[in-house]
Amino acid sequence: MATTELPLPALPEAHHEEPGGIVDYLTTVDHKKIGILYMVTAFGIFLAGGVLALLVRLELARPGLQWMGENTYNQVFTMHGTLMIFLFAAQVSTGFANYMVPLQIGAADVAFPRANAMSYWLYLFGSLIVFSSFFVAGGPAAVAWTAYPPLSTDWFQGTGMDLWIIGLAVVGIAGILGALNLVTTIFRLRMPGMTMFRMPLFTWGVLVNQLLILFAFPPLTVAFALLFLERNFGAKFFDAAAGGSQLVYQHVFWFFGHPEVYIIILPIFGVISEVIPVFSRKPLFGYRAMVFAFFAIAALSFGVWAHHMFTTGAIYLPYFSIMSLLIAVPTGVKIFNWIGTMWRGSITFPTAMLMALGFILVFVNGGITGVMIASPPIDFAVNDTYFIVSHFHYIMVGGLLFGMFAGIYFWFPKITGRLLSERLGRWQFWTFLVGFNLTFFPQYLVGLDGMPRRIADYQIERWEPANLASTIGAFLTGVSVLFFIWNFVVSIRRGAPAGDDPWEGNSLEWVTTSPPPSHNFHHLPDIHSERPAFDYRHRGDPAFAAAHTDPTRNPDRG
Amino acid sequence: MQPRRRVPAVRWLAVTATALVAAGCAPQSVTEQGRAIHNLYNLFLYIAAVVYVIVAVLVIWSVIRYRRRDDELPKQTHGNNRLELTWTAIPFVIVLFLFAATIQAQNKVLDPVAQPAVKVTVTAFQWSWRFTYEGTGAEVIGTPDRVPELVLPVGQPVRVKLVSADVVHAFYVPQTLFKRQAIPGFTNEFDLTFEKVGLYHGQCTQFCGLQHPDMVFRVRVVTQGEYQSWLAAARRSTAAGQPGT
Repeated sequence: MATTELPLPALPEAHHEEPGGIVDYLTTVDHKKIGILYMVTAFGIFLAGGVLALLVRLELARPGLQWMGENTYNQVFTMHGTLMIFLFAAQVSTGFANYMVPLQIGAADVAFPRANAMSYWLYLFGSLIVFSSFFVAGGPAAVAWTAYPPLSTDWFQGTGMDLWIIGLAVVGIAGILGALNLVTTIFRLRMPGMTMFRMPLFTWGVLVNQLLILFAFPPLTVAFALLFLERNFGAKFFDAAAGGSQLVYQHVFWFFGHPEVYIIILPIFGVISEVIPVFSRKPLFGYRAMVFAFFAIAALSFGVWAHHMFTTGAIYLPYFSIMSLLIAVPTGVKIFNWIGTMWRGSITFPTAMLMALGFILVFVNGGITGVMIASPPIDFAVNDTYFIVSHFHYIMVGGLLFGMFAGIYFWFPKITGRLLSERLGRWQFWTFLVGFNLTFFPQYLVGLDGMPRRIADYQIERWEPANLASTIGAFLTGVSVLFFIWNFVVSIRRGAPAGDDPWEGNSLEWVTTSPPPSHNFHHLPDIHSERPAFDYRHRGDPAFAAAHTDPTRNPDRG
Repeated sequence: MQPRRRVPAVRWLAVTATALVAAGCAPQSVTEQGRAIHNLYNLFLYIAAVVYVIVAVLVIWSVIRYRRRDDELPKQTHGNNRLELTWTAIPFVIVLFLFAATIQAQNKVLDPVAQPAVKVTVTAFQWSWRFTYEGTGAEVIGTPDRVPELVLPVGQPVRVKLVSADVVHAFYVPQTLFKRQAIPGFTNEFDLTFEKVGLYHGQCTQFCGLQHPDMVFRVRVVTQGEYQSWLAAARRSTAAGQPGT
């Protein structure tokens, strides 16, 4: 009665390798294993990008050049941004999505499992192409992650730049393929009763995020194609002397570049919207408003790209200013609805919840400085200074990483069957919270005082204390990541058994085993609301039973 | 509940918050145009600080007040349309207000002066600056090792025509709270009216290759008399083929 027996999907019988072996992972088309591959790869890239960040902080701790030359420094920060933005931030949530979305909608796999594997392998090899630029003559690109021409076309001569373009273009194509797959999966493979407005918020976040990828990555691929042609075949797209314009690149790049921010952060909003209701033991406050806010943010995100170009003097400022300011409204709705979810709840504080709370506190900080720089005159003052660096790290490091770790602590038990250590989790949380703010808050101040970004050396001595604090904070953040790695290594072998539903979760992944079987579910409950696992847990409770026999609440049964 | 012990913590928090907001205030501007930016920035900052404090207090209050005390399931509320409309409408109104303030300030910053007293073409190149004083024959050229000085008269509107000789650069004097990109093939024009005599640090802020950090310049703002005698000397050395820095 309460469960639907599933017809078992026909499983490919091609490989009999022991499950979990290397050959299994090399040949798998299982969305869960591909999800794990994505997450592990993205995390590896995150560590590489993090080491580069520490090198940047090391050099900037004091004025003068102590550790590396200017060229090396330029390569280090260029590759830090490249790895973090293109190869880590936009990809790690694709890993989560791969693993969790089919589970959350009660599907056995994604719509196109083989294409899914292809997306991952393209992502891996694209990333390796980018990494290979470390080993060619001239080294990796030293043109900043935005790669503005003519710097990236005429000035930087090394092969590293071409490998950068090709590798990232391959990763971009992998992203488009993956997006087609996940969007189709969400539209077509939801189990009976799982209407759109009963989908978990994480799945909604992924849907909107992947739609953004579908619209934003093609222009990025175009930007890279134009760069490549200009560099290697003397095309004149950006050459003013030949009637081209450098501004063309800025427009195309940022038409991708700003939606990219939301590509990165929307699935994280989804994670937070899963974690907070579970640990507040209440439904998400204003479910529909949260969904509409996703779409409002996504729509606005395509109308704001030129706020990255306020200082070009070639932009109609009021339009891009008001569009950018307006994004604060749906984002604010999300923040207040999360607080509304906690309000009068019954809140517990495992690491996943701590990370979600940390997320709100740092993300709001990045959000309000985002409102400030949506105003062109303020942007004239702080653009390309450390104020901007701090602002987007509050979004990216603060927002993305706190949210990512919330997701990891939340879903690790589902994926591995074991719990991460809460004691080490708390160590990680507090060192991260303190280290992060110590790194980036001083950068607001030193940026306001005029310190430009992307400089290996600074001549102004009063900038030193802020930079030193920042460096100490960065290394403390590094320590917090070490706590995580330690926790991961210990817990994956000896962590406490998690059981199927350690958190009393709301969505369908908590109904199946931990880890789930290869076809995901042995049985599925009927879907009555956006909290099927909650309903299933309380199915004997007369109050809930009465609520669910009301035919107006469940059109599929009427 | 021990309300008496909370007071020092609250006071400490208030002091810290005030100090942080004060530290986050924009530096004073040395140009007329920059004053509008300074005021706008501080307006945004105060509103931002209030918003942040409201959110933080609500979060911290929830965390303290609604921590789990027993196994009873809390009331399962799904939302409240009136509340949600309120916290959509209020930010919307704030945003419109900020936009109006933005437009007002922006006009003060960008409206061209009718009669600029000095016109300078600033050419950015890898990795220094050239300042060409229009109609005077005076020119200043810097190198990464010899920091060039842009000498300007105090209290006079100066029209800057900004161009680039190679890649994208940006002209930035922190104490004017203003910057502009120098884009190849495109001339950017803006006005600066310095209100205080002094020596100000300037720097390229758009990453432009190997020696980007060395692309520094100074603005020396002097009285009208000093400016005229400097201009005469600069004209002579430029004519002699030795433009100064």
